[in-house]
Amino acid sequence: MNDTEAVKAIKGGEFLIRETPAESVFIPEEWNEEQLMIAETCTNFLAQHVTPNLARIDEQEEGLMPHLMDEAGALGLLGISIPEEYGGFGKDFKTAMLVTEKLGAGHSFSVAFSAHTGIGTLPILYYGTDEQKAKYIPKLASGEWKGAYCLTEPSSGSDANSGKARAKLTEDGKHYILNGQKMWITNAGFADIFTVFAKIDNDENLSAFIVEKTFEGITLNPEEHKMGIKGSSTRQVFFNDCKVPVENLLSERQNGFKIAVNILNLGRIKLGGGTIGASKEVISTAINYANEREQFGRPISKYGAIRYKIAEQAIKTYASESAAYRASENMEEATAHLIETGMDPIKAKLKGTEQYAIEAAIIKVNASETLNYVVDEGVQIYGGMGYSAEAPMDRSYRDSRINRIFEGTNEINRMLTVDMMLKRAMKGELDLMGPAQKVAGELMSIPDFGGSEEDTLFSKEKKYIAGFKKAVLMVAGSAVQKLMQQLGKEQEILMNLADMLIELYVAESTQLRVEKLVGMRGEEACKEQLDIMRVYINYAAEKIFKSGKEAINSFADGDERRMMMMGLKRFTKTEDFNTTQARRNIAAKLIEENKYCF
Amino acid sequence: MKILVCISQVPDTSTKIMLKDNDTAVNTQGTTYIINPYDEWYALIRALELKESGVATDVHLITVGKADTEPVIRKGLALGGDQAIRIDADSVDPYQTANYIADYAKTVGYDLLLCGKESIDYNNGSVGVMIAELLDADYIGFATNIQVEGTTATVKREIEGGEETDVVNFPVVIACQKGVAEARIPNMRGIMAARTKPLNVVTPTSSAAVTTILSYEMPPAKAGVKMVSPDNMDELVELLHSEAKVI
Amino acid sequence: MSVLVLVEHTDGNIKKKSFEAVQYAAEIAKKTNTTATALVLGTIADSELENLGTYGVQKVLHVADKKLDELHARAYASALIAAAQKEGSKIIIALHDINGKAVAPRVAVKLKAGLVSGALSYPDLDKGFVLKKAVFSGKAFAFVNITSDVKIITLMANSFPLVAGSGKAAIEKLDVTFGDKDFGVKVKSVDKVTGEVSLADAELVVSGGRGMKGPENWGLIEDLAKELGAATACSRPVADAGWRPHHEHVGQTGGTIRPNLYIAVGISGAIQHLAGVNGSKVIVVINKDPEAPFFKAANYGVVGDAMEILLKLTEAVKKFKQHK
Repeated sequence: MNDTEAVKAIKGGEFLIRETPAESVFIPEEWNEEQLMIAETCTNFLAQHVTPNLARIDEQEEGLMPHLMDEAGALGLLGISIPEEYGGFGKDFKTAMLVTEKLGAGHSFSVAFSAHTGIGTLPILYYGTDEQKAKYIPKLASGEWKGAYCLTEPSSGSDANSGKARAKLTEDGKHYILNGQKMWITNAGFADIFTVFAKIDNDENLSAFIVEKTFEGITLNPEEHKMGIKGSSTRQVFFNDCKVPVENLLSERQNGFKIAVNILNLGRIKLGGGTIGASKEVISTAINYANEREQFGRPISKYGAIRYKIAEQAIKTYASESAAYRASENMEEATAHLIETGMDPIKAKLKGTEQYAIEAAIIKVNASETLNYVVDEGVQIYGGMGYSAEAPMDRSYRDSRINRIFEGTNEINRMLTVDMMLKRAMKGELDLMGPAQKVAGELMSIPDFGGSEEDTLFSKEKKYIAGFKKAVLMVAGSAVQKLMQQLGKEQEILMNLADMLIELYVAESTQLRVEKLVGMRGEEACKEQLDIMRVYINYAAEKIFKSGKEAINSFADGDERRMMMMGLKRFTKTEDFNTTQARRNIAAKLIEENKYCF
Repeated sequence: MKILVCISQVPDTSTKIMLKDNDTAVNTQGTTYIINPYDEWYALIRALELKESGVATDVHLITVGKADTEPVIRKGLALGGDQAIRIDADSVDPYQTANYIADYAKTVGYDLLLCGKESIDYNNGSVGVMIAELLDADYIGFATNIQVEGTTATVKREIEGGEETDVVNFPVVIACQKGVAEARIPNMRGIMAARTKPLNVVTPTSSAAVTTILSYEMPPAKAGVKMVSPDNMDELVELLHSEAKVI
Repeated sequence: MSVLVLVEHTDGNIKKKSFEAVQYAAEIAKKTNTTATALVLGTIADSELENLGTYGVQKVLHVADKKLDELHARAYASALIAAAQKEGSKIIIALHDINGKAVAPRVAVKLKAGLVSGALSYPDLDKGFVLKKAVFSGKAFAFVNITSDVKIITLMANSFPLVAGSGKAAIEKLDVTFGDKDFGVKVKSVDKVTGEVSLADAELVVSGGRGMKGPENWGLIEDLAKELGAATACSRPVADAGWRPHHEHVGQTGGTIRPNLYIAVGISGAIQHLAGVNGSKVIVVINKDPEAPFFKAANYGVVGDAMEILLKLTEAVKKFKQHK
């Protein structure tokens, strides 16, 4: 695993079998002045237009949300990564992620924003013809037209290709007649453009259509009553003999499912970005409250139980963020590499993103669950006030929950993580067998107690992470061997394997980020970040052990089980470390700054 | 018509002030800096409006500071300033700052100089007046509305106990406050354009300060709040009268 | 060598804060073994000018030019410089208000003099000529040393209590030759606010925040203010929402005030707001949220419904006034 040449060519999923040098990852401490200014514009936009109006937004005051979208459009925030030729600003993917992150603190607005700029715009941008792009993209980039995406149906959610919506070519060959019922359509209430998925005749696969609101035969149900993100327009959309001109077929016939999947890859990592922004905001609010609220004569931020929560919120958020921007950079690099080889930039972007689909799914799951943790403890830090609808945690708590459900449920994404990894191995794109056999061999041999190990600032953590990789390879390798085709049906084991992969990726990303940061700022200036890394790796070791143990016990027995359990213990072993003191240090810094500050 | 907008870099309004070096300096570690709100929200935006409406031809920004002030200068450019001048010095007092800026302004010859009514760090509100005096120009403080026609400005301003409307000829220095304009957020176009706009670094002229800050002090902690029952406002009035002696 | 102080008046009535400035100048004169001279500009009766002696000036210079009834900062500065030359003054005092802020920096430039704006203390002569002033909008104080020969101070009103003495000032008319530029700013119209107490000078202030729920409830704030003879103010969100005019906004990006009593109703006490009011001598906070951070900066606190408490407090003040 000491393959350091061809660093730049590290491919999606390869984190499992190769070592990534710290200098090759992007870390958020590297934002340049322009990116920071864009971020500030987003923050100011929320502070000025969104945050003061959250109650009105949640009441779905007529015209308010489209107005906010117009305001965002006027600032250029709807066209960040759209090419300049289509009226956008041609910024890189990381900058678009940063914008999504900053606006992620905008509750329902961030949902409307993400739906418009993501699934509402990207299918046309990536798969549209020049004519389609010229017609729709500039208006979507400026916000003059708002976009929505119609995939889900009442009976087809996670199983998207099973939808009942149908399109039929008219006899004159000029139109498709679209019929169907679409559900959970974000921005439906004010969207001008719908990207609609339906099967043509009795096709096996979906096709996609660009449908304008002004086409005949479109009706909307009233707004859904939702647990959270109440300000986001969510309606059912009905297409009753809706006449769609043939030139509005997007991409080729039966290419719809591929479009849906590829757009989701981008949507997933961006959802991760948005939830990270929300997490930071909630942490800042919670810290502020903990500093103000006094009990027994002292601010509650002085108490260890509260400090633990604040530190954990920050640790998890920092770790999620490390992973999200590492993968964002990888996607960008892969895209740039493909463009160099002569690929069309838009195709390259899709391909580059697809390469990191495993990482995107990991980030979606991890960052949304981090936010769930952060809001839950946010409510707890607020105590009784946390349960009051007058205090801010109520909205954060309710709004957070959807993130584990949309853009593919976290369960679907967990399965995809493992499934994509195995498929790539099967296709020979990813050599899992070699490393897995090597680990199996190691199990038989005497453990290496070699005393000649180097002792540098990160040597221990790097050793732990190398161990985590062995643990995943061992458990996944033998699960595949034992269960073969059956594995796909053993969802509990797939969940275990996914959890192991997720923790590995996030822990490694955190380690790489802190290593790079120490290189930039020196050890003294990164004390809290080093503590964050150590606590997270400690946690990841336990989580990987627990998931691995569950998996092993479900499919192995006898000597094999004993041997694997010994291996798992060895691969997830970490030295004793005072996590309590580390969390205290982290919390002290956060409390002093009175906000999330890493 | 050429406008010079004086901007000052100040700590963000949410900054908690902490002292260091035996209370002789303010601890700036971790401080986020912004353009002084009065300079940005009112002076700069009004200047930009005058340019957008075709009245002004050039909007220049000027600040006195070292290289660490460049991010806020570029924010000013992102909002729409045409070019910026940074006088490369750590100024000690308003007199020195005013001299640096006036000396530069003389080399260009501005018609209208705009600044905020005061900076939120040292709260002097004196640099603008001093520049006016150094340029032998008129000055109007606490402006709430500025209209320009030809070579005169009609300015509504706050006076002691009311408001008045003045007419003044160029060149003039006007210090702005709420009412003059509405704050804006830099848009993507502006942010991207800011990169390529000129930011000229100018060596300061020789000018000495006439005051120095020797030390700082934090406000004393309040003794603690005395709570009064909402049903007993007579008691509150009595406390304000006999204990606090304020009514 | 006398200490020179610029006196302001409204239509011939000397402002209370100008008496403070006069008393302050007299005290500095005492410390520096000299006398204090007041400079008064515009139309005002001698009988009113004589009152200045009560606060320690021996001499009043009066420039009785009618044109000076309006603020013409350059003319005011010319008059101050003429008076300073006549008196050989090395220390010049003005108020830290709209007039003083427009005049003092001009004089400072003309005389190459160090200026401390918004002084809160007498000069500490042991360390040089050191004055205390608020910085970061009241989040801290700075001690500023003036190193030039001539020294100029603008005094923050309400910094020292007035103690009337006895004594009469000699009045001397002063003729100043003004140039054209001294009246370069043409005043087109003046709109004086009458009746209300001006916020910047008010000793008592009643202020409302978002907890007032809406502009329709402001009558309750005004009723209490009227009963107390107080000015009214508001927090930034209230001004931004258009419930109240912007000149009532106090805080770091609005006005900074230092009244004797500041009653904050339904204001949570964000750091930016505190910066604008924490120079107040006594702060009363009324808020329904017992956790509102403002309570930490308050002398007296009441937890409860803002509207109800305002009604009761106004009644209590009324009763108090009747019995006094």
